[in-house]
Amino acid sequence: MEAGIKKSRWIKDRVFFVVVCFLSSLTAIPLVLILWEVLRKGYRQLNWSFFTEEAPNSLEAMLAVNSGDLIPGGVANGLVGSLLMVLMAIVIAVPVGIFAGIRLSEHPSSRFSSVVRSVAELLQGTPSIVVGLIIYGWVVKPLGTYSGFAGGIALAVLMLPLIIRSTEETLKMLPGSLKEAGLALGASYSTVVLRVLLPSAFGGLFTGILLAVSRVLGETAPLMLTALGASAIEWNVFEPMSALPLQIWEFYNDPNLAGLIWSTSLFLLLLILALNLTAKRIARKWKL
Amino acid sequence: MKDRIFKGLLYGASLLVLLLCAAMIYSLVSGSWQAFSEFGFFRFLFSPEWDPTLGREQYGAWAFVTGTLYTSFLALLLCIPFSLPVALFTGEYFKKTRLASVVGSIVDLLAGIPSIVYGLWGFYTLCPLMKSWGLSDQGFGVLTSSVVLAIMIIPYASSLSSEFISMVPNELKEGAYSLGATRLEVIRTVVFPVAGSGIFAGYVLALGRALGETMAVTMLIGNTIQIPRALGDTGNTMASVIANQFGEASGLKLSALIGIGLLLFIITALINFLGKLIINRQRGK
Amino acid sequence: MKTLLKSLVVGMAGLFLLVSCGGKKSGKESLVGAGATFPLPYYNLAFDNYKQAHGVSVNYGAQGSGAGLRSLADQLVDFAGSDAFMSNEEMAAIPAVIHVPTCLGAAVLAYNLPGVDSLRLTAQLLNDIYLGKLTRWADPAIAAVNPGVTLPDIPVYPVYRSDGSGTTYVFSHYMEAVSAEWAEKVGSGKSLKWPVGMAAKGNPGVAGVIKQTEGAIGYMGSEYAFSSKIPMALLQNAAGNFVLPGTESISAAASGNIPDDTRVMITNSEVAGAYPISCLTWMVVYREQAYKDRTIEQARALQDFLAWMVSDTAQSMTVKVHYAPLSEDMAAKAQAQIASMTYNGQPLR
Repeated sequence: MEAGIKKSRWIKDRVFFVVVCFLSSLTAIPLVLILWEVLRKGYRQLNWSFFTEEAPNSLEAMLAVNSGDLIPGGVANGLVGSLLMVLMAIVIAVPVGIFAGIRLSEHPSSRFSSVVRSVAELLQGTPSIVVGLIIYGWVVKPLGTYSGFAGGIALAVLMLPLIIRSTEETLKMLPGSLKEAGLALGASYSTVVLRVLLPSAFGGLFTGILLAVSRVLGETAPLMLTALGASAIEWNVFEPMSALPLQIWEFYNDPNLAGLIWSTSLFLLLLILALNLTAKRIARKWKL
Repeated sequence: MKDRIFKGLLYGASLLVLLLCAAMIYSLVSGSWQAFSEFGFFRFLFSPEWDPTLGREQYGAWAFVTGTLYTSFLALLLCIPFSLPVALFTGEYFKKTRLASVVGSIVDLLAGIPSIVYGLWGFYTLCPLMKSWGLSDQGFGVLTSSVVLAIMIIPYASSLSSEFISMVPNELKEGAYSLGATRLEVIRTVVFPVAGSGIFAGYVLALGRALGETMAVTMLIGNTIQIPRALGDTGNTMASVIANQFGEASGLKLSALIGIGLLLFIITALINFLGKLIINRQRGK
Repeated sequence: MKTLLKSLVVGMAGLFLLVSCGGKKSGKESLVGAGATFPLPYYNLAFDNYKQAHGVSVNYGAQGSGAGLRSLADQLVDFAGSDAFMSNEEMAAIPAVIHVPTCLGAAVLAYNLPGVDSLRLTAQLLNDIYLGKLTRWADPAIAAVNPGVTLPDIPVYPVYRSDGSGTTYVFSHYMEAVSAEWAEKVGSGKSLKWPVGMAAKGNPGVAGVIKQTEGAIGYMGSEYAFSSKIPMALLQNAAGNFVLPGTESISAAASGNIPDDTRVMITNSEVAGAYPISCLTWMVVYREQAYKDRTIEQARALQDFLAWMVSDTAQSMTVKVHYAPLSEDMAAKAQAQIASMTYNGQPLR
């Protein structure tokens, strides 16, 4: 009798374990399916000119498709635009985000901190198109033109809550003794934070930034209202600028260019996956 | 002196975040003022009528509010049976092993896929499947979007829950083991009660993500303006109606769309607030 | 770490400095437009050619007509692309604008009926399909105009655009003109309240739904339907002929009574060979170009560009990407509009 109960408890335990493993492995399926789909439809277009040439016009693409060739041209204009805008977003969002994150972790339970924390969460939940709309009113209109700069700010606003969050989480996990030791040695508060806390949290911070970048790299809607898009490579950040997701949107709307949707998605996906993996690597190396 | 400047800088950065949010709310309120003063806040919120025809314009957000809530909560429901096991897998069973970090990475990669790619995949792959399985007449609709949303939010739900599960102190678990409990029993009686509020927070975060998702849902929900009554029904969400109509909108309609943006903001805030409240109550026990 | 932060802060300060200096407008000529998605493939081609021939690059953002006109009103762009001309009230709200037609297209009715390779429709049938009165393809009313065609006995699934769209506007404008019932129950606009049917986003969405659903029928932009080679229905025009949409039948619709300001709908044309749901698309610019900090060179660059868009060189490209060229009458009136542009009250040339 006693043994029977014990046995059934043991069986339940084993069954539960197997179910957990099974369901966990199932979550990999969508990733594999999506990767496979995008790879299958997009790999053919991924060649050298895809990265070095500007987007083709409809006629070139149509002629190529009709004769069974690869669509000529590439996404260089979107690539350059995406890189520039993400760079601007990093330059703006990272210092603000890290400072706000430090403040939150230094005063974890003050009223001000809890308000800031809730607000950051709220910002994170804001639909990106609303952010685009607001940046349109704040930056595009006053500057008098659509620009990559406005796009960069929109992306920065989207990145900010993610960076605040990751900074706070990372700093929270540092042992308190680290700071105390620094202060006990007579170092000033700012020195302790900048020279001791931040360097030891570097891995976590960097991971947070990379993850935030990969999150905003795929944003379409806010860029449409701020950066507008451009048919040529544009280095001047005060001119309209293209971006990879904007190009996917354009290809989606033009049946002749539809063949490029998948390769652009594939490239974007690979870029983001690479960023993610790098972030993981770094995090492991710095061990936090 | 240096410290004062530095502290000021920290304070300033946090203040900037608050200002950003305040200014956003101001922009939304001033942009939607016209619609709210035309229809009244509650009539706008609860009216399912959305008729953009010039001359008899009538705007109400209820169809979109229900559509958003249905898809988001359904997605949350669908994601639990997968995200919770992942959290247990990485945070309890294989805690701090190489296997856990591999599984964790794979799940995190799901968060990195751009939503437009999810949308395309759902449109070309999932819709025909849903149709052939007889789950939906047209392949589009609430169920299809919820499935894709569920996949999208798994990483958000699981990573936070896993963190909290792994933080459950070993002494507590060992106490239970020494009394002869099996692992399942330890999870049920020790891990879940202790990590409960953290797990819950993870799901609140995931829900927030589902509420605001635009591109993928727009491509999959069917975008008909009606209150969905069945899983296979098409509908519309707040984010997707903004994305759909924004390009061609002007005047009162534009104002109504911004009003929907404001409502979405409020709903997200409410859900976050409720989440906090529940967590605090749990902690208080 | 500190240096990293420092460089970030310096970089940020530098960026803001750049903004405050307004480091804008380098010497090179470029034009910016925003608006309708409908003419995007053609604009894509034309702008590319213009850049090669004249060295002026044109950036165009396909945000939608409404957003394009808003950008023009906010003075963010040189021109707005729009599928619908501005109403008198809309024009009264901003400084004087001119409309320059650039090409023609149509709303075609694409369908998915296995075994049917030619389908004829009338306005009455369309009305009944979209109002939910006609629910099966084997209905005798459809058979009556399709002698010799075996229609399958499957349900009719009407498909419409879920996003605001000029194509929806043109389609509903036509329906309103030909059916009193439609005018009363549905009306016209860029997005509507539809009694029945499935919604899909954008031309690709409509095309996708039709391809995946047997028995589906839906309207979509002609340029998209032609390029993706979807079967489309012949439609009975005002003269009583069944016409297949094509560049010639669409161009035919744009002849006849064209007002001087080119603000005209060309649906339900009386011309014998005209496709009845044809439409124009415009570029809208300010007549007086000395606004904000614009130079006369910029104004001239814009004027030259517009004149080129309605010239034979550009118009001959329309058909290559499945649009229809402007009629001569239309192009002449467009040139007259372009010539009326001024800078500080003086004609530009």
